[in-house]
Amino acid sequence: MDMTQVASYPAAAALNASKIYGKDDSEVRALDDVTVDFQLGHFTAIMGPSGSGKSTLMHCLAGLDSLTSGSVCIGDTDLAQLDDKQLTTLRREKVGFIFQAYNLIPTLTALENITLPMDLGGLKPEQEWLDTVIDAMNLRNRLSHRPSELSGGQQQRVAVARALASRPQIIFADEPTGNLDSKTGAEILTFMKHAVTDLHQTIVMVTHDPLAAAYADRVVFLADGRVVDELSEPTSAQVLDRMKRLGN
Amino acid sequence: MVSPVVRLTARGVVARKFRILLTTLAVVSGVAFVSGAFVLTDSVKAAIDNLFEELRGDIDLEVRTTIAFGDEARGERDPVPLSLLPEISKIEGVRLVEANLRRSATIIKADGEPLKVSGPAFGIAWDGPDGLDGRTLIAGTAPKGTKDVAIDKSSAKRAGYEIGDIVTIVGPTGKDQFTLVGLTGSGNTNGGGGASISAFNPDTANDFLGAQDQADSLLIGVLPGFSLSEVQASIAEMLPESIEVITGVQAAKEISGSINDVIDIFGKVLLGFAAISLFVSAFLIFNTFAIIVSQRLRELALMRAVGASTQQIRAMIIGEGLIIGIIATGLGILGGLGVAQGITALFNAAGAAFPTAGLTLSLRTILVSVFIGIGVTVTAAIVPAIRASRIPPVAAMRPELGFSALQRNKRLAVGLTTLLFGITLFSIGLFVQPGGAVITLASSAIGAVMLFLGVASLSTTIAAPASRLISRILPMPFRPMTRSVPGRLASRNAQRTPRRTASTASALMVGLALVSTVSVVAASVKKSFTEQLQSSVTADFFITNLSFQGLPVAFAERLDALDELGSVSPFRATRALVNGEEKQIGAVKPEMGDIVDVGVIEGSIESLAEGKLLLHRDPARDLGLGIGDSLDITWQNGTTATLIIGGIYTEAAVAGNWLISLETLSQASKAPPVDFFIGAKIADGVSIEDARAAVEKVAEEFPSAEVQDQSEFQKSQEDQLNQLLAIVYGLLIFAILIAVLGIANTMALSVYERTREFGLLRAVGMSKRHLKRSVRWEAIIVSVFGATLGVVVGIPLGVSVAMALPDSFVTTTQIPVNTIVAILLASIVVGIVAAIFPARRAAKLDVLAAIATQ
Repeated sequence: MDMTQVASYPAAAALNASKIYGKDDSEVRALDDVTVDFQLGHFTAIMGPSGSGKSTLMHCLAGLDSLTSGSVCIGDTDLAQLDDKQLTTLRREKVGFIFQAYNLIPTLTALENITLPMDLGGLKPEQEWLDTVIDAMNLRNRLSHRPSELSGGQQQRVAVARALASRPQIIFADEPTGNLDSKTGAEILTFMKHAVTDLHQTIVMVTHDPLAAAYADRVVFLADGRVVDELSEPTSAQVLDRMKRLGN
Repeated sequence: MVSPVVRLTARGVVARKFRILLTTLAVVSGVAFVSGAFVLTDSVKAAIDNLFEELRGDIDLEVRTTIAFGDEARGERDPVPLSLLPEISKIEGVRLVEANLRRSATIIKADGEPLKVSGPAFGIAWDGPDGLDGRTLIAGTAPKGTKDVAIDKSSAKRAGYEIGDIVTIVGPTGKDQFTLVGLTGSGNTNGGGGASISAFNPDTANDFLGAQDQADSLLIGVLPGFSLSEVQASIAEMLPESIEVITGVQAAKEISGSINDVIDIFGKVLLGFAAISLFVSAFLIFNTFAIIVSQRLRELALMRAVGASTQQIRAMIIGEGLIIGIIATGLGILGGLGVAQGITALFNAAGAAFPTAGLTLSLRTILVSVFIGIGVTVTAAIVPAIRASRIPPVAAMRPELGFSALQRNKRLAVGLTTLLFGITLFSIGLFVQPGGAVITLASSAIGAVMLFLGVASLSTTIAAPASRLISRILPMPFRPMTRSVPGRLASRNAQRTPRRTASTASALMVGLALVSTVSVVAASVKKSFTEQLQSSVTADFFITNLSFQGLPVAFAERLDALDELGSVSPFRATRALVNGEEKQIGAVKPEMGDIVDVGVIEGSIESLAEGKLLLHRDPARDLGLGIGDSLDITWQNGTTATLIIGGIYTEAAVAGNWLISLETLSQASKAPPVDFFIGAKIADGVSIEDARAAVEKVAEEFPSAEVQDQSEFQKSQEDQLNQLLAIVYGLLIFAILIAVLGIANTMALSVYERTREFGLLRAVGMSKRHLKRSVRWEAIIVSVFGATLGVVVGIPLGVSVAMALPDSFVTTTQIPVNTIVAILLASIVVGIVAAIFPARRAAKLDVLAAIATQ
């Protein structure tokens, strides 16, 4: 790990984070005292079986959902201290999202979707960066198309471009390849990897696919709401192996 | 750069244009109604102002008797003595003085039948085309001889007469024959605008029209070069007390103003119904937006996730409402022009003679339409917009979390509070009646609106169990709906979104609640009236007038002379100031006691002959009057009288609240008397056939008279009430049509939303017919639910209104069971009609494509 980055804040971090749904008998601990951080300039995958709490962790980290106890930070900002308005601004300026599906507003063109967060904030996109992102995602000749005129892979690339466009501190991706065939999925993951290595972005991705996780610099394993393991520079075989052990 | 909210809003409307179309239609119809009411009244009023300004002709001044109170144009004036005429002619600056004499005179057509007219049938005194009244001579000569007449060209043509023919005319003194010497016109037209005008020379008119050397008023032309106000002042100087001189312009204004008051009332009634339509439209708009918001849940959540603020989401949804409001208002204002034209055509076809003129679209009309159209749409979008802004961003990934946010439920308390507040306000308006008619009406109306909103809100709570119940009992004659798969699906679908089911049903609820209210009130009025009529009317014949002009007094005198008849009494009416309030006072003969049993509980009917006053027990109680007490009365001509109370009675259906004798009336008023109707009883030993034949024979000379026996009279009175009701129901139909549109809209949106589900059903083997049936059943459940709510709300409303009405209107409250059952049955039809389009759409779905839809 690079010393200069350790000295500064991590891109995002959770400290003793717990999230409890329901009450008493029906109580479900989705997150159980999770402490984890995500460094700038890294591509991290969060893995775990269904119900392990990986999506909940991501939702809380991104300020989409609130914790029962503990805290989460984006950069040096403690999300618990923010009201809805400040959270909205934070999502707009510091965080990018890539979802599994329903990523794009159907009534807007690809370009309009990409610049939506900045438009909403009344900010002017940085043209140079925008061009870099658009070219990196190979979307130059698709910009005026509506989502319904794009293939699944193209739609996901627009979503990645939107997440990158505002140069956020961190991008959260929720099963970004879940709806795609393996070839298109691999393509998207390559684009994402490219964004981290060449464009120096930070991505945290939730996935259950070991092949996808293998694109990350680091994999964090969750089970029953706890961080149980992690791997650096993983291969898909290693990930699959760990997952098998978790399943048992 | 366009703001993203504006861009998203505009794109949102375009993307959902078909889903929004029906909503727009509802607002358009409401706004069209509002602007139509304004355009109509403005246009008609402008036309009437013009008409009377034109009819004024060359009349510069008019001399007439004064009235003590009431509407100048409609007041009953004593006539002016003709002896004033030569004196006024001598005044410097006076060019011409004419006697204005205008009495009823019916032309008998060449075939012997009386000429029917949509306006009045007048006989007038006429000096010729050089006179002041603007009457022109189109052909022939002016009537100079005592047996001459000139008739307006269009009436002469319709009656089948040409110049030189002998024409029979029936006037106030009886019938006579005249030679047609001229055809007249008015301005540049051929006739009197729906009236028939028979012009005689002044002397003939004085005799034949029974004027007794008096005129209704004197018309004066002023020489050029003289000041109108100076001439007016010098005439005023010589006039005796209680006779005044006014300008022709003022006289024209008084008449058109008085007619325009009626037009205004008509316009206000239309506006009332427009408000009802808009209220129902608001439900439809609200519903469409609520459904669209839930359908766009993930999209809205995504926007929140990528940084849209709650304000931006709210602005976007309200903005969509604004766009719809603007488009609908624009179309609505145009539609209003059509509505105005349509109503004019409708009423003209029904016999009302609205003057034709260009449509007036005033700035006020546009402003009010814009305010109302946009206001209603945006207001109805506010709640869905707030709910949309509450969708948490996490719903972009987990929609179920978003739906729980949409279903937040505080409505029970709010609904109950609104309902109770509404009932209180409504009751206060109705029974306490604070501060006059306006506040009474306003508080009842606002109370009713709140009551409806409260019920609409509470109905969400019962929508699910009610839908279950309806689906169980509805198809009783066949087999329960829940036994078949389509029926079960329909029932479950209606239950699974109770909010949607409830607000869709509520639109219909409002319309049908009003229909039920009106039907209860109408049934009660009708029953009370019929009961009073049956218990009080003992007359064998009633003679009424077809043209509302009244009957010549000679008629009653002729009937009285018949051996076949026993007691005969005319009913006249006058207006008087009693205790500071204007009242209508009936004048009859004491023999009326044999014709109508008014239910005298104190004193006697015979006391009328002593010049005493009889009154109904309600005003007697209100004024604290008993037998022998005296009451000061001011007649319209300004004379006063102190009348002694001679009797108190209970039945007001025929007689009204106040009665005096014909003699008392003739002492009070010198205005030419006309009879409203005449009641007669058959003499002992005469058969009804013989008596009727005798009456009909007299009636031949008075062609506007209609002879009715007791049951015919009763029926004609009920017919009048029914006609009024038909208009009210007809206007309420608009509100119901909008509600039907609302059900169709909701069903169409639901079908759209369930595309995938329907695809699945079709894939596992459901036929198109089943699918259609399922959609249809659901629409029926919703509309029966709405109709039931409407009836449940409407009946108590109607009963309260009936109870609040004074005894002279309603004595018995009656719930029209037939009408209520018909409403409930009709609601099934409403459901079927509303489902036609959505069901067809559901059946047309491509199975594969439907399943592939996310």
